[in-house]
Amino acid sequence: MASLPASAWDKEKAGVLLQRAGFGGTPEEVDALARMQPWQAADFLLGSPELAKADPPESITRPGLTEQQRYLRRRLTLLTPKDREEKASQLNRAVRAEQERRLTELRGWWLDRMANSATAAREKLVLFLHGHFATSEEKVRNPVLLYRQNQMFREKALGPWSELVLGIARDPAMLIYLDGAKSRPEHPNENFSRELFELFTLGEGNYTEKDIQESARAFTGWTIRMTKKPGEAMDEETTEPYFVNYPKWHDAKSKKIFGKSGGFDGEDVVRLALEQPAASRWITGKLWRFYTGSNPSPPMHRELVATWDENKGQIRPFLQAMWTHPEFYNPELARNRVKSPVEWLVGLCRQLGRALPAPALASEMTSQLGQKLFAPPNVKGWDGGITWINTASLEKRYEYGNWLVGGTVGMRRLGEMDLARLAIQSGLLEVPRPMIEGNAVDDPNVKKDFAEKRKAAARQARELLAISPAPLGPLAGPDERQDPDRLVAQLSARLLPGEPTPPELQARYRKATGEAIPLNDAAVRQTILAIVQSPVYQLG
Amino acid sequence: MKEPGLKTRREFLRTGLLGSSLSWTVPSFLQNTMLSLHAAADGQLVQGVTGKDGNILVVLQLAGGNDGLNTVVPMGNDDYRRARPTLGIREEQVLKLGQKEKAGFHPALAALAKAYADGSLAVVQGVGYPNPNRSHFRSTEIWATATDENQSSSTGWIGRYFDNACSGCDAAVGITLGSQTPQAFAAKTPKGVLYEAGGGKRRRLGADGEPEADGSMAMAMDGEAEEGPAGGSIGDIAGPSGKINALDFLERTEMDVQITQKEIAAAAGRGKNGVPYPGSWLGNQFALISRLIAGGMKTRVYYVSQGGYDTHTGQANAQERLLREMGDAVAAFLADLKAQGNLGRVTLMTFSEFGRRVKENASGGTDHGAAAPLFLAGGGVTAGLLGQMPSLAPRDLDDGDVKFTVDFRSVYATILEKHLGVKSDPILGRAFPLLKAYG
Repeated sequence: MASLPASAWDKEKAGVLLQRAGFGGTPEEVDALARMQPWQAADFLLGSPELAKADPPESITRPGLTEQQRYLRRRLTLLTPKDREEKASQLNRAVRAEQERRLTELRGWWLDRMANSATAAREKLVLFLHGHFATSEEKVRNPVLLYRQNQMFREKALGPWSELVLGIARDPAMLIYLDGAKSRPEHPNENFSRELFELFTLGEGNYTEKDIQESARAFTGWTIRMTKKPGEAMDEETTEPYFVNYPKWHDAKSKKIFGKSGGFDGEDVVRLALEQPAASRWITGKLWRFYTGSNPSPPMHRELVATWDENKGQIRPFLQAMWTHPEFYNPELARNRVKSPVEWLVGLCRQLGRALPAPALASEMTSQLGQKLFAPPNVKGWDGGITWINTASLEKRYEYGNWLVGGTVGMRRLGEMDLARLAIQSGLLEVPRPMIEGNAVDDPNVKKDFAEKRKAAARQARELLAISPAPLGPLAGPDERQDPDRLVAQLSARLLPGEPTPPELQARYRKATGEAIPLNDAAVRQTILAIVQSPVYQLG
Repeated sequence: MKEPGLKTRREFLRTGLLGSSLSWTVPSFLQNTMLSLHAAADGQLVQGVTGKDGNILVVLQLAGGNDGLNTVVPMGNDDYRRARPTLGIREEQVLKLGQKEKAGFHPALAALAKAYADGSLAVVQGVGYPNPNRSHFRSTEIWATATDENQSSSTGWIGRYFDNACSGCDAAVGITLGSQTPQAFAAKTPKGVLYEAGGGKRRRLGADGEPEADGSMAMAMDGEAEEGPAGGSIGDIAGPSGKINALDFLERTEMDVQITQKEIAAAAGRGKNGVPYPGSWLGNQFALISRLIAGGMKTRVYYVSQGGYDTHTGQANAQERLLREMGDAVAAFLADLKAQGNLGRVTLMTFSEFGRRVKENASGGTDHGAAAPLFLAGGGVTAGLLGQMPSLAPRDLDDGDVKFTVDFRSVYATILEKHLGVKSDPILGRAFPLLKAYG
């Protein structure tokens, strides 16, 4: 495959690579990459395999239910039906609340890893895999299983593709999401087999309905149990199921899949699928689209497939080859790739050298912009591209940009967000529920008390979730504050990596600086904001 | 970023603000297309097709593949009973429609049965297309693009209607209630904006809200299969050789943000609901559409999607809940339009990417199928059962699925010609037989 000569490697290209392979960064990081050879830069971004090791967020390591709740659960069957219903619904509420807290922590934990320059590129790939093998908490309802799936992606992200596909076929969250766990020989469930071929490995038109039905039979027996081994007594402490291969539930009779016959099992299906000629085309096209925002041209796609096959589906060398291909830096592709909401948020924080907002707020922001982590809209994942952009989401990007540049201190409202709810859900704030009995709800004193508590909670939440103003020191030194043109040039280079910003766009930004020299903080923030609140900033 | 005093794109173009009082450079897409936009501003915008009293189409997508057989239930049909021993709706529960109708409604659709009796609801039976595709995404795409099963198109049928009938109108000629533009809106010149009513939790799940409190709690094994709205997207048409350049698209959207959202919010504030709506997410969306119509929006097409119909497991409860939410919201909307005096201007069409397998499966659900009935509602619609109920006899099925009797493009063609008043063959590629859906 064609490779970029060292002589063609410069700051512009390094900036593009840092943006696309990771989540962008500061001019210093771009300079460091630009000083390497292209291949070295790609290798450097992917980092050492050690980086896949990740301590789980704290809440994932402790049991989902308190001792008291576990005791209550065991006792449920002993209660009278009326009591049981009441206690069960109490317990459900507690469990739901705990799941919400854990998910928020998990999202914050992942966003932090994306924002960390050492792990950014690997996390970007994990983000791709999350969208590719889309699995949603809305059905799985178990943050621990979602964490395990996410960590499985992280560990296998740069190895052979076949391991990832096999990993997802045996993944408890996926077994729940696409009903594999429920599939039995007498009624094999086709949901997973269909998506395995249609979305995960081959693409529509490269398999038959019969292949799906027969593969569903082959996957029977792959299920989840609350114990590691079948037959073992269930552990009282366990709330998370494991993958098991349960022979009693496997249909071992002969099947015909992709023209071959045998008593196939799940591993065989994955192997047979990945042997199809469509398999290399499918994944290479998808990776190219993810990283460049465009479909590969037919000759480019042929090159990608050849490289993929040469590397036997090893992802790391494939990505390195792709990231050092001249076409990856084709100016025609430049600025045709829309940043996803997560990329936008993490990227802006990295470029500004500022901390991410608190997990509860950060995850709400990406959700509002259309990308709720661990809750893709359906098994196809996020459509991406220009579908990220619509009138409502663009307006929100501009509004959130304002918060991240100028901070939210002193703001009485943050758009439509209910900060008290976010703070309570994420466990930052506890508000005692008012004890209301019967008609007391209409009692003016109770109402007043309730209204006051709500107000106090909202005030506290505003403080807890406040975003500090971005530090301006590294963004505008004394020299830039004396020279608006220089400030605009420097900020455009920082925030819009790649090709130099066209003069007419610089003129648009220049209007924001005002003429009062030296430029004060407000003028600098206005200028940053003018760039962030422009269509071109949404691309990269 | 806010330009005060601007109301519509037309005014924006007419007042000659481009390049003068705008505080930034002219967006590149405008440089490219300014002439045609100016021409449009002078011409088509003032024609009837976009006038504020024109006819309106409301599309309600039932995403995930609604089980048609348990929505409009065949009566006195032994093949149905045999195929649905547990999921079949018992005859005495089916809401009968009339003396001669051999089908009735799911018991959760009482509100729609009343609309049927009132003469504002029609059922088109057996709607589908040749060589049905059983993938959510592909079949949704076929419905959205209105192509043959083995063809593809980068534009959607509603987008082509916009391109053909009102190339110069405001972006708000199409409004999607929700967070993603449907693929049906994809057009040469993209139109359509998103707007959403707050309140009511959007149901993406077919699953019961509460997880169980026993050992299976963590496994949530009894959640219905749900993939949310399995809508397609217009994302696929972006690309180096694609019609839409991402930067142009962003610049256009930026302009819509400034002009259109305010206009919609103002109309929503002017319009009033005349009847109570159910408190569901869908109820809120229909209440909003009604206010927008009452508020004088010139929007021709509203699009809203309800997800959760992919009922591979535990169908009975899930579909019951979804249909009730849908029927109650639609019935309130029709009643509100009638009170406003706008019912005659509106046609509401439901559709789902496919129906479900005739034979129920072993997990209390049904798998992906093919043809299914859809609803048409509105003042101009001729109430009744249209088209032919397909046979459920095993020998008449196509690989276990219902064979279509009405091509879905006949439904589109009928709406385009009889309701929206445009020629359908430039939009659908060829002529399709029209249904007797309008008086």
